[in-house]
Amino acid sequence: MLTRRVVVCLDVKGGRVVKGTQFVNLRDVGDPVELASRYEREGADEVVFLDISASAEERGTLLDVARRTAERLFVPLTIGGGIRSANDVAAALRAGADKVSINSAAVTRPEILTESAERFGAQCVVASIDARREGDAWRVYVKGGRERTDLDAVEWAVACVQRGAGEVLLTSIDRDGARSGYDVALTRAVSAAVHVPVVASGGAGSAAHVCEVLLEGGADAALLAGILHDGTSTVAQVKAAMRAARIPVRAA
Amino acid sequence: MKVAIFDYGAGNLHSLAKALERDGTAVTIESDPVRAAHADVLVLPGVGAFGSATERLAPGRDAMRAAILDGLPTIGICLGMQLLFDGSEEGAGAGLGLIPGHVTRLHAVRVPQIGWNEVVPVAGEPLFATAPLPIAYFANSFVARPADDASVIAWTEHEGDRFPSAVRAGSAVGVQFHPEKSSTDGVRFLHAFLDEAGTMKGSR
Repeated sequence: MLTRRVVVCLDVKGGRVVKGTQFVNLRDVGDPVELASRYEREGADEVVFLDISASAEERGTLLDVARRTAERLFVPLTIGGGIRSANDVAAALRAGADKVSINSAAVTRPEILTESAERFGAQCVVASIDARREGDAWRVYVKGGRERTDLDAVEWAVACVQRGAGEVLLTSIDRDGARSGYDVALTRAVSAAVHVPVVASGGAGSAAHVCEVLLEGGADAALLAGILHDGTSTVAQVKAAMRAARIPVRAA
Repeated sequence: MKVAIFDYGAGNLHSLAKALERDGTAVTIESDPVRAAHADVLVLPGVGAFGSATERLAPGRDAMRAAILDGLPTIGICLGMQLLFDGSEEGAGAGLGLIPGHVTRLHAVRVPQIGWNEVVPVAGEPLFATAPLPIAYFANSFVARPADDASVIAWTEHEGDRFPSAVRAGSAVGVQFHPEKSSTDGVRFLHAFLDEAGTMKGSR
C-alpha cells in the first residue's frame, strides 16, 4: 500500500536557506545541501526547494544548489519558484530535480503544463496552487500570494490536471505561517476533485495537524517547514503520530 | 568496472550516477545506445516517456538487445524496466523485447502513483536477500504486464492493482521503483546489483 508522505520545504534565496515572515525579515539558516541531507537522515520522504529569490542573478544559483544536492540526496527533490517555461523545467530536471512545481506561469500560460508533461512525463510536473478563502470557495492567487486572479481554486486544480500536472501542491495562504492547522476543507475539496496526489501545505503547527489533513482532508502528503526548522517538532515525531493514527507511513 | 547510463535526453541523472559511484566503478552518461552497450554494466534510467525513449534507442536497439542476450549485466529503472518489454500503450516504438509482455496504465484512481510503496520479493531472490528494500519510491503512471510470472522477482500493489515491481531475465534486472531515490536502502540495492554484475561479468 502506498504510504502517506512527509515533505519538508526549504525556502532558498541566493543559494542559501532562509527563514522569515511574509518574505521579510529573512535570516540565513544554513546550506541547502546540508539541510536537505539532514532531513533525509531524519526520515523526510521528500524535499522541496522553493526559490524565493527576487532577482535573476540569485535565481541562477539555484541550479547549482540543485546539482550539489542531487549528488548527496537520495530521496526525491522538487524545485519550485520562478519556473517560466518548459525549458526552465528541463534545466531544473537536468540540474538534479526529480519534480518541478509551476505556479504563476501556469496561470499566465497553462500550456506550460502540457508541454512539460509531454516532454518529461506527468509524474514530474507539479501544479502549485496558492489559494485564499472567499466566502464558501477559494480564490487562486499568484506572484507569491500578492496578486488575486479570477480562478476558483478547485476548478483550477482540475484544469491543471487535465493539462498534464501529475501532482498538486496546494497552499492555503490564510493558514500559511499561522500554525493553526491546514485548511482541511480546501484540501478535501481539491483532493476529491482530482485523481492525482495532493500535497497539503500551509498551517502545520503540530503532528496532529498533519494527521488531520491526511485523514480528513484526503491529502496524500503533508508539507512541513517552520515547525521542523525551529525544532518545534521533528520528522520522527510527526511519523510516530501518523503511525498511532493508523496512517500508513514509511519507517524513518 | 565501467558503468554506462543510457541517456534518453531528459531528466535528472545526477543522483543515479552518484548512487552508482564507488571505488572501482567509473560511471559515464552515454547518449549513443551502441556505445552504452559496450560498457561492463548498462543502466537504463527512469526518466522520460516511452515513445521518446524508444526513438533514441531505435538506432542501437538490436545491438543493445544482442549485448544483453549475450550476458551484459543490465538494470532498467522505472521507464528503463518498461523498455525491457515489447511495447507500451504510453507511446509508440519497440522496446527491447527481452521479456514477453506489454506496458499498460495502472488500474487505479490515483495516477500517477507517487510515493513510497511496499516491495514484496519472491522467495529466494538473491538481490533482495542481500539488500532488503521493503519500501521504495515510485513515480509512475504505467506498469509492465509480463505474459507470465516467470520473470517477476517482486510484486507491489497500488489501489488493488498488483504489478511486478522487479523482474529478472538472464543478465537483465528491471525495477519499477527508483532505488536512487529510495534513500540508504535503495543505494545499497544498487550496489548489490553491481556486486552481482561483477560476478556475472567474470563468468561471461
